[in-house]
Amino acid sequence: MNIKQLKRFAVVVAVLVLIVGAVAGCGGSSSTGSNSNTAQNDGNSEQSNKEIKIGVALYKFDDTFISTVREAIERDAAAKSQETGEKITINAVDGQGQQATQNDQIDTFITQGYNVLAVNMVDRTSASVIIDKAKQANIPVVFFNREPVKEDLQKWDKVYYVGAKAEESGTIQGQILADYWKNHPEADKNKDGVMQYVMLQGEPGHQDAILRSEYSVKALQDAGIKLEELAKDTANWQRAQGQEKMAAWLAAYGDKIEAVLSNNDDMALGAIEALKAAGYFQGDKFIPVVGVDATAPALDALAAGQLLGTVLNDSEGQAKGIFDISYALAKGEDPTNVVQGITDGKYLWVPYKPVTKENMGEFKK
Amino acid sequence: MESTINKTKGFVIRDLASRYAIYLVLFALFIGIGLIDKNFFSINNVRNILIIASVRVIIALGEGGVLITHGVDLSAGRVVGLTACIAASMLQRSDYAYKMFEKLPQLPLWIPILLAVCVGLIIGILNGATIAFLKLPPFIATLGTMVIAYGIACIYTNAQPIGGLRDDFTRLASGSVISIPNLIIIALIVACIIWFILNKTPFGKYIYAIGGNPNAAMVSGVNINRTLISVYALAGALYGLAGALLAARTGGATNNYGLSYELDAIAACTIGGVSQSGGIGTVPGIITGVLIFEVMNNGLVILGVSAYWQQVIKGIIIIATVAFDIRKYIAKR
Repeated sequence: MNIKQLKRFAVVVAVLVLIVGAVAGCGGSSSTGSNSNTAQNDGNSEQSNKEIKIGVALYKFDDTFISTVREAIERDAAAKSQETGEKITINAVDGQGQQATQNDQIDTFITQGYNVLAVNMVDRTSASVIIDKAKQANIPVVFFNREPVKEDLQKWDKVYYVGAKAEESGTIQGQILADYWKNHPEADKNKDGVMQYVMLQGEPGHQDAILRSEYSVKALQDAGIKLEELAKDTANWQRAQGQEKMAAWLAAYGDKIEAVLSNNDDMALGAIEALKAAGYFQGDKFIPVVGVDATAPALDALAAGQLLGTVLNDSEGQAKGIFDISYALAKGEDPTNVVQGITDGKYLWVPYKPVTKENMGEFKK
Repeated sequence: MESTINKTKGFVIRDLASRYAIYLVLFALFIGIGLIDKNFFSINNVRNILIIASVRVIIALGEGGVLITHGVDLSAGRVVGLTACIAASMLQRSDYAYKMFEKLPQLPLWIPILLAVCVGLIIGILNGATIAFLKLPPFIATLGTMVIAYGIACIYTNAQPIGGLRDDFTRLASGSVISIPNLIIIALIVACIIWFILNKTPFGKYIYAIGGNPNAAMVSGVNINRTLISVYALAGALYGLAGALLAARTGGATNNYGLSYELDAIAACTIGGVSQSGGIGTVPGIITGVLIFEVMNNGLVILGVSAYWQQVIKGIIIIATVAFDIRKYIAKR
């Protein structure tokens, strides 16, 4: 390498170091709490000297719901740290949708001596390995959002699960639509006593997509409504695709469509754009559209009277459950004594909530 | 005597068929789907297909220029996603409760759109510069910016969806001039500009020259680095425009916008006769490629084909069309 090349190389390295440094500085681990308190803290002495480290492994950072849960966990930790004066570190890492990456990250947490692991599995069937490793190091694990198989959870008593029952989101969505159908006879446009609907589904094979599709229909049937499925197709959770599919269905079926069921809000909002272009939501031309997630744009569409209803996966509630159980475990307490609602000694089910125009005030973010 | 005439006739038909293969495929698909379900032919549906295709055409034209230089731009989709988020975040209604920038005043429409174009342009220049000066293979350079653009979109939006877009912005996509939808007009204008650049300017000739034979181009005095940077920059700017228009059309944006649009664009260009080894490709071909794609997407949904089978059929049509089209080059050899 001659001097010129060496210089160039040095510049490249320097720039890379700067970038990595800057990124590490503003993201990744967020440490809350203050060390300065420990000196004056004579009352509850030794526990508060110890830093509590919770390693949070997420299946994917860019998932809207997961990122709200992460933020809420960090807020809960900050609040607890304010309250007790302890230093609580929440280190959230991104599994990038790959189980192998997540396993490596969990190994790192274990070698660094974290007190508790909070794990949102990439592949819910591979929890066994993680539980074995954690058990060996005696570090309790709180799984969340993606439920490991029962046999794996039974392997050790310091394993917990916080999550929502996915089918509940479908059921509630169906109930919202059923209520509307019963109270609005005009919704049955062709007066045949049958609800002709179309369904926008999430990514094929995704557990939420399968369960929501199944249970929303089941809830409608349980409410005694006769159904006819005109069409269903996947829009991969995406707004643009929701719009494109809905536009095609409007061309194929036109006003025969009496209701739109969507596995999430983004696709429902896409469908609403297509419906608007076809003249819906102007004057009294209406069609019920239901989604799931209660995202900010969805709440806006609720207020505008375009979206009939959505279902909230309670990220705050889940985050609180995850943090409270983790905190109790870090302090060496039994979570079942401290946290309300744990069933079978390891499950905390956080219910979904229906959101409609009437009650949306409670959910303003 | 008679037999020779017949032979020539047969040859002419075959020659025409192979020369206009992709147009025939588009025509056949269009008529075929319409015969099975006449709803496909409705004015509204055709209009819809063209509106949806408009954004894709703009992306494919950017990608097409890059492909002609024997490059590839994988960042297209994610740049569309990032710029969609940028434009959307600055064009939210003032009464929307979850505004990303609460204090942002009502901006004139062109500022956020121009900003989206500029962000695309900058990423494009970055692509071109790393390829030209650091000699990175285009596949790797643009793979890098693809990931970076996505990362920035996630940071920027915090993975939260952006909604509540201003009516004047969404009307840009839903509106029309003398009943021709705005998006179609914009796509046509872009297509004309790109056609002009490729066919009537030295820059356009250089693009073909570099893709056809880079050594010959260099010897004949083409500034390869400058041309490469300009091609990627132009492509980036087009993705930025497409991103802003996509946000307007869908009335929102999320960090996941534009996922795998680059592959759709590459496939559409290839269907449209852009050579994977560079040097060959036309604007009408690219537009036809996109239309074949969108007619398929829309048609299969209207016919009620199951989502899984749609994938299989699309793959078959891509392979079959290119196999059909490629014969004209084989025949020449």
